[in-house]
Amino acid sequence: MRAKKLSDLLKAGDRVAVSNITGREAAVVTAASQKYCGNIVGGWALGRQGQKLDVPHGRPIPVFSNVEELTNSLPKEQWPNKIVVYSPPQAVYAEVKEIVEHRNGTIETIFIITEHVSIEVTAKIAQICSQANIDVVGCNSLGVINVHDAVRVGSVGGDSPGENFRPGCATIISNSGNMVNTMASYLLSAGLGTSYGISTGKDMLILMPLKNILELARDDESTRIITVYCEPGGLYEKDALQMLRSGKQKYPKPIIAYVTGEVLEKFDLSLGHAGAVVEGKETTATAKMKLFDEYFEIDPFDPGIKYEKTPETIKALSRGIRIKTLHHLPAAAALICDVVDVKRDFRPSEPLVLNPWFVDYKGYGKHLPSEQILHRGKTPEPYWSQIKLLSKAVGATPTPRNMRNASHASSNDGREPRIYGYSLEKEMAGGSFAESLILAWTGQRPRDFEAQLIEKCLIASLTNGPGTISAQGAKLSTSAGNAPNTAMIAALACMGDIHGGNGRRAVEYLLQAFQDTRLSDPYDPDHGLDLQKIANKQADQFSKRRTAAKEAGTDYERIPCLGHPVFNGQPVNYDPREQVIFNFLKEKKLCNVFLDFYHLLAHQLKEIDIAKNVWAVNIDAAIASVVLGNCWKMLEEKRITVRRVCDIAFMVFALGRVAGAGGEFLDHQDFGMPMDMRIPVDECVALNKPVDRRTSPRD
Amino acid sequence: MPAQMTELPFLEHIAGRFNLPVPEFLTAEAGAAQIRDAIKRWGGKALVKPDVLSGRRGKAGAVTMVTDYVEAQRQLKQVQSLEINGHLCRTAYLTQYIPAEMEVYSAITYDSRYLAPSMTLSLAGGVEIEDVADDQKITFQIDVFKGLGAYQVSEAIAKLGCPANLVSLLSRSLVDLWDTFISTGMRMCEVNPWRITPDGKPYACDFKAVFDEANFKFRNLGFNLPEYPANMTIFEEEMASWNASSYRGQAHASELGGELILPILFGGGASTIIIETLVQCGGSPIILSDFGGNPPYERMFGTAKICFEHNLKKAKLLLILGGNANNTLIDVTFKAIADALEAYVYEYGAISTPVIVGRGGPHLVKGILIMRDTLEALGLPYVIFGPETPVTQVAEYAAKLVKVWPETGDVKDES
Repeated sequence: MRAKKLSDLLKAGDRVAVSNITGREAAVVTAASQKYCGNIVGGWALGRQGQKLDVPHGRPIPVFSNVEELTNSLPKEQWPNKIVVYSPPQAVYAEVKEIVEHRNGTIETIFIITEHVSIEVTAKIAQICSQANIDVVGCNSLGVINVHDAVRVGSVGGDSPGENFRPGCATIISNSGNMVNTMASYLLSAGLGTSYGISTGKDMLILMPLKNILELARDDESTRIITVYCEPGGLYEKDALQMLRSGKQKYPKPIIAYVTGEVLEKFDLSLGHAGAVVEGKETTATAKMKLFDEYFEIDPFDPGIKYEKTPETIKALSRGIRIKTLHHLPAAAALICDVVDVKRDFRPSEPLVLNPWFVDYKGYGKHLPSEQILHRGKTPEPYWSQIKLLSKAVGATPTPRNMRNASHASSNDGREPRIYGYSLEKEMAGGSFAESLILAWTGQRPRDFEAQLIEKCLIASLTNGPGTISAQGAKLSTSAGNAPNTAMIAALACMGDIHGGNGRRAVEYLLQAFQDTRLSDPYDPDHGLDLQKIANKQADQFSKRRTAAKEAGTDYERIPCLGHPVFNGQPVNYDPREQVIFNFLKEKKLCNVFLDFYHLLAHQLKEIDIAKNVWAVNIDAAIASVVLGNCWKMLEEKRITVRRVCDIAFMVFALGRVAGAGGEFLDHQDFGMPMDMRIPVDECVALNKPVDRRTSPRD
Repeated sequence: MPAQMTELPFLEHIAGRFNLPVPEFLTAEAGAAQIRDAIKRWGGKALVKPDVLSGRRGKAGAVTMVTDYVEAQRQLKQVQSLEINGHLCRTAYLTQYIPAEMEVYSAITYDSRYLAPSMTLSLAGGVEIEDVADDQKITFQIDVFKGLGAYQVSEAIAKLGCPANLVSLLSRSLVDLWDTFISTGMRMCEVNPWRITPDGKPYACDFKAVFDEANFKFRNLGFNLPEYPANMTIFEEEMASWNASSYRGQAHASELGGELILPILFGGGASTIIIETLVQCGGSPIILSDFGGNPPYERMFGTAKICFEHNLKKAKLLLILGGNANNTLIDVTFKAIADALEAYVYEYGAISTPVIVGRGGPHLVKGILIMRDTLEALGLPYVIFGPETPVTQVAEYAAKLVKVWPETGDVKDES
């Protein structure tokens, strides 16, 4: 072994290079490591030379084609002394061989993170690296962290190593990478930080065995206590304990050992370790436990026992103790600190307790013994803030999945097509088009009056005369000799944020206006909201926004769907289509709070002299109010996204209007003339003079 | 279950390729005339053996000597239907009986002491090597690049006290065994015993090997290892097939025979310690599972669906638990599990099984809220923990809770 002390494995100032740096996992972990400690001088990946790996808020990491190019390109003082291997398993041997060949006398340690490296390759790596005087950690290691120097290789500590790894006196040695993090977090509650966290890997051959690490830890000044997590397989623990026993001097640091796998031996189930057949019975979990217990000369830690500070206990605990379950780690560590006088690093944090974030026994609680009843605990940061943020957010935030061959909206099992699980045939037999349409768009059946309102919106959207942009689109396309589908698409193509898309903006506007209300049913006349107050607030905000913009000479955001280019000449203006919807609700003794709000807002804007007369609440506002009314409960229950509601508001208009555009197509095709939409040349206005007819001196 | 090889495929495919001396053999499909001729040729003695993924076949009484073809056929039929040490036989076969004056043990494996291959030899062959005294066996390191030299192995045999006239032939066969080992990507092979005939010729009379599936040489064996009838449950078979259907995310599960807690667990290390805690605390886990490795939605949904369909009905508590994930997206996995739970309820009707959840990792809060909302919608009792509560403590609580959880019929809905 080349290293003489733990810091020789990794310390501040080490220069780390990464193989296959652009790989999926390597790129993410390397960027996080660089952000944490900035110890990476470069990396390589076949065919990726010249690229740079971006590091958030940091210097990009240069990428070379191989280790030779990396050393040739970097100045000598940046030549790496530590290499992290992320290459695919089939490439690991060639990679390590190349590293050994081009080591230039600087490379001290190779950390192999790659999983599924063959045992033969691992044995070969062990041999060539031993001959080259290079230490190897791995394969299948998660990496190493030196907490005092705040440096790491691999992904020990995840994205935020500082969270669990506070500088302290415990060295953690673990076959399982994840357990390095876990044990570090547990030790915090005993007042112990970490000096080194070492994930050895858990392949059949562990190239940095426990014995070697314990030797390195023997004289390490920052380490006062050692925790070991091991699994069945290999004679690593036996060798290590033999080494501890055979030394002339007693090993100076207490060890807390956790051996897993005993229970599973009974089930004849293999764990991470391959196990060894001819290495004997001492490779089993049971045997390893026995070996540790014999070395410690004390029974495994029992939280129920009150340990006295007797000479025997001091003698035993100065060697260490085994724990039977992992959450006994802090208590066992505290015991050693107290009995053997190991100085704690800081005041113990909160003890490890059951801390539920959410609890609901659903009525069974009364039948449970009180000691088994938990109450909601304190959710720590940053999670509590995230919960508040996500809970406050309106609408669903679906988890993405591959939808190539999947659909919620439709299905067909070969017998029956369905819409969101509802039989299409039954829809045809019993419902209305609007009812099935809302089912297809939201996954939920509307109430009868809601379907009727949608139907009215669709009818209202059919047309507003041949001069509308969308109708013109259809007519232009027809005039050019296109088929009906093209003409209808042309009408759709002529819709946008200005024409037709206002409903979408209206939904967004209404959502921000009503987001803090406790509205449950927007159609309930007893909704309990002070709509006038909401309207006044929105009018005031608009007024301030407009005044500020005017003073600054900039544009400002209008309130969507108020005012109409046609219906605008009266002291109080109405869009007749919107009035049909308004009156329908009135007849049904219902209301739509959003539509009512719009009317109040229009009046309030006149009241505070923003408008000269009362603007019409146009049909887009009515459509938005109806759609939002239908979807409000689904949004509240986070069953539907805000984006979907906005889109539905647009789609109601678009569907109605594209049907109307079909009417324009049929009419224009039968009665129009080819090219009749063309504007005659003499009606076109040229805004530039012809350049080639200039008579200026330049010509 | 790692890829393993027993004596019969060794005789059929490997021994000849590597020039290893083995007894002649016939499979159970051989005709009466073939068997009659073979026994006659072999000097009137043959052994009927089961092809089974288990050692100690002789001790189990499954290896029988036959002297005529009628008995041989009867035994071949009988042996095929045996269950040996809990393993079902695939088939049976007949081998030549090799008279011997001496038996030798040999094994090659990768050795944690040397971090290299090693060979173990003993002249006390035919018995379990662990029962052989240390001074009667020898283990030595093999250079993984240079391989095993005849000189090295003959020196070891001689040290064990092997008669000088036997050393040369045996050494050559042991070198051939090394070639077999290193050329086929094995991680362990054992010949026990080599039977040494009175004229000094060694025969490999039983063989077993475990392959390293990560070694490309194993993938290029040139033949498929036979499939053995496994003592798998339908659930295990379905999970094994589902696990093999994709490389994305793990879907490992084995039945443990428990009857209280259905654990849906993540991460190899965490899964093991959680199961150990459950067993220690009387939680009686139904399965051992490890579903980490950042499975995508479809993978996790399928995994959870199979687990629920086979086990949820009998489970008294559902435990969804894992450590602080480095890569696995919690929202994706939890959404998939939640959807599978909903699908189960839709398919099989309402349940009231309490659910305990504990997890950490990327997109944790979103995942936990998805899970909570689904459990609420399904009306299931739940307790949800974050990453600051140790997984073993959560497992301990689950084991205690399940034991005191009232039967559904005893409780009126009071929520």
